[in-house]
Amino acid sequence: MRDYILKRLFYSAIIAWGVFTVTFFLLRLGPTSPADKYLANISARASNVAEVVAAIEARYGVDQPLWKQYVDYVSNLVRGNWGWSLSTSMPVMELIKRHWIYSFQLVFLSFIFAATLGMLIGLYSAVKQYTKLDYIATFFSFVGISIPNFWLGIMLILIFGVQLGWFKTYYDTSLPIVSLANLKALILPVITLGTGITAGYTRYTRSSVLDNLRKEFVLTARAKGLKERQVLIKHVFRNALLPIVTIIMFDLGAIVFGGAYLTEIIFGIPGLGRISFNAIFADDYAVVVAVTLIGTILVLMTNLVTDVLYTVLDPRIKYT
Amino acid sequence: MSKAKYPVILVLLLSVLIAGCFGGKGKEEGVPTGNGKGGANGLSTPPGQKRQPSGTYISGTSAGDAETLNFILAADSASFGYAGLTIDSLATYDNQFKVQLRHLGKPVQVSDDGLVYTITIRDDLKWSDGQKVTSEDYVYTMKNLMFSDWLNYTYKSDWEEEAGGQTVFVKPEVVNETTFTITRQTVYPEFFDNAIINLVPYPKHIAQKYEGDVKAFTEAEEFNKLTYTGNLGTFKYEEWVRNDKFVASRNPDFYLGKEDGSPYFEKTMVKLFGSTPARMAALEAGDITSSGIEQTEAQKFQALPHLNVHILPTSGYLMLMYNLRGNGWDALKDKSVRQALAMAINKETLIQSVLLGFGEPAFSFIPKVSPWYVDEGLAKYGVGPLFDKNKAREMLLQAGYGSRRIDGSIEVKAKDGKPLKLTIVTNIGNKSREQAAFFIKQELAEIGIEVDIQLLPWPTLLRQYLMNKEPGSNQELRYNGGPKAISEKPWDLMVIGFNTNPVSPSGQEVFFKSDSGLNGNGYANAKVDELFTRLRTVEAVKESGRRALYAELSRLISEDMPVDFLAFEKGITGIKKSVQGVEPGINMGYNSHRWFYE
Repeated sequence: MRDYILKRLFYSAIIAWGVFTVTFFLLRLGPTSPADKYLANISARASNVAEVVAAIEARYGVDQPLWKQYVDYVSNLVRGNWGWSLSTSMPVMELIKRHWIYSFQLVFLSFIFAATLGMLIGLYSAVKQYTKLDYIATFFSFVGISIPNFWLGIMLILIFGVQLGWFKTYYDTSLPIVSLANLKALILPVITLGTGITAGYTRYTRSSVLDNLRKEFVLTARAKGLKERQVLIKHVFRNALLPIVTIIMFDLGAIVFGGAYLTEIIFGIPGLGRISFNAIFADDYAVVVAVTLIGTILVLMTNLVTDVLYTVLDPRIKYT
Repeated sequence: MSKAKYPVILVLLLSVLIAGCFGGKGKEEGVPTGNGKGGANGLSTPPGQKRQPSGTYISGTSAGDAETLNFILAADSASFGYAGLTIDSLATYDNQFKVQLRHLGKPVQVSDDGLVYTITIRDDLKWSDGQKVTSEDYVYTMKNLMFSDWLNYTYKSDWEEEAGGQTVFVKPEVVNETTFTITRQTVYPEFFDNAIINLVPYPKHIAQKYEGDVKAFTEAEEFNKLTYTGNLGTFKYEEWVRNDKFVASRNPDFYLGKEDGSPYFEKTMVKLFGSTPARMAALEAGDITSSGIEQTEAQKFQALPHLNVHILPTSGYLMLMYNLRGNGWDALKDKSVRQALAMAINKETLIQSVLLGFGEPAFSFIPKVSPWYVDEGLAKYGVGPLFDKNKAREMLLQAGYGSRRIDGSIEVKAKDGKPLKLTIVTNIGNKSREQAAFFIKQELAEIGIEVDIQLLPWPTLLRQYLMNKEPGSNQELRYNGGPKAISEKPWDLMVIGFNTNPVSPSGQEVFFKSDSGLNGNGYANAKVDELFTRLRTVEAVKESGRRALYAELSRLISEDMPVDFLAFEKGITGIKKSVQGVEPGINMGYNSHRWFYE
């Protein structure tokens, strides 16, 4: 197992380096330039536009040959200097350190919410297949999957924030991260982000549990005289978990930089999703490359953790 | 316990958790429970008494975050906005465009020949380390920072002039500790309004450390955290959480607050929202103090008991630009055709249906609120007698774009007899422009012109439609590549908006002078060029001379119609009723240091 993990870490490093390199060059070869936002002002006033644009690009360091930019960037990176964010005027590392927690808490709590609720409802729905509760759970699953989360977020704000006044209409970053007030402030964003995911996990869990309920080992367990709860939790659910775990872990990477972004926008949460999106449109290369690298590492590590988790869930699985 | 009870217990537990967590939002944030002391009308402080500062003023925006507080490097308005909360400029305008002195100790003196500006600053301005702000700081900021090659200040051309066939900078010189002069070689009567009034100094003794090193200057902590601002502004920097909020706390040493104790808010915050609906919800719920309001929401917000909704004039105008370059409809080069199209578009209906009534018809680039606006002689196409679809068809027929049917009616068509089809382009994401494009399509359809609308991302609109170059040349793409230049993609009409400085509208020359940097549609009129040039001569120094020039320019442009000026939009702002001291107007924030919570 140790050798397997080391091998995976080695390949992950190569993949991460490859993704980082491709991102680095693609950004700089694009048609836009950091000087674009100055262009209208420059054109309105300067006689020699090209000269002024060249000077601004020199300020941003994009006037150097591409290979030199790359070498400089990599050598700074290994020394822990991730560059300066031109769209936010602070070191990239400091920007990420300050803002990662907002995305993390949102995503983490949403996953706890979605995974717990989704698996519970899915399990119950499978056990009570074709009953009224199963139909209700299925209906809400489809509704949950279909509702766009930005619409849901706005509706929650309007109902619970504006009409009822139970919550603030935006996320307050002055609240201590570890506090009940912060937890309360995250209720609506977590419901917004978690609802669609819950619906998905409900369906996956139901399907996986149903699949396992029909297997012979369940019959054997019941024949042995085990209590139904033991059959369900220790045998059925545990076997059903494998595909669900895979889906949950794969979702993690996508949600941080994809789905969480919309929730961050609606509730005014200054998380990494928003930071990275704004950096793309601002041609803030340093931030985009850094965030891509972090996202890549996150996905690679979650894949590794998933594979290791398999061996815990299913002792039959072994890696060499 | 039966299994059916488990989900019930789960729901109950969740309900308890939720009920325990909320109990309403509590006291309204930022609004004090004590009363602010004040005079009989609540607006002025009785002599000998200073109003007690209280509360946090929270303004909401979804226009985007600032890029930097090191504002000399900035190109976005948010950066200047944030920094402007902590450091004033030399002066500002009130709602009647009267100059209100800020760092200026007395009004700027201009020599009789209009070439020498004498600027005297207050003698009580101090940096955070206690050092006095002197004229050396101002002159250093101009000579060594703004005019330098190493820093490349975006707005440095506001301080340039053409003299002796060269582009040179104006000359600042120190006279004494609080006085400096700026000498020009050419007259520019609006130099104060366009440049001097907004001048903000950097501390020479700090900036010198970074001089010449753009990287070090960009990353300088003093400038990125505004630690030097001393008593120069209403507030002091407290924190800036990117993409979330900018917070500044009351400056107890504020130079204007010595006598009246202003400012009267403990803190000010600019809260960023990622979407307009979220910002509107926050204003409605009372979670923020003020914000702009969408036109579609104005009626709803006017009915809210806790808000004052102000409908204010702006200097932003919506227009239909004609492509007068080689790749647009050739007929647009004919003034009568441009006038015919303008005659077919009802501006008042456009304002009602697109701007929901929040606008005024426009006929030139000078808004009605401007002290230079002259109504007499303006060609008011699109309203009254100059809105006439039949006349529009007649004019197109006379220009050769139609034929008369047997029944006497006119069929508008291209010269080759085919149906006339034009393209309108505008940018996605601006509702007013999109809806205006569809409205214009309808109006032109009624006179027989088919219009195809293209909605494009803003960068694409700029790069492929507005920017141009001479075909087959090595010229780089620019906004005005010369008379032979054309854009990458063909277009005929463009719905777009510009902004005028009401006090110095001559800045619009960048769009309408034939050789100016932002003349994207290729307009050229020698008389217009001449008038803009005369606005920068001795003739325009006297108010009467300048007014006459603006009147002639407005009349000429409204008649020649390089663009069809559609409307000056109105802005809608909601402010909590508990905020007192507000004077609604085009420059509403000019006295915000005296606003207070009731």
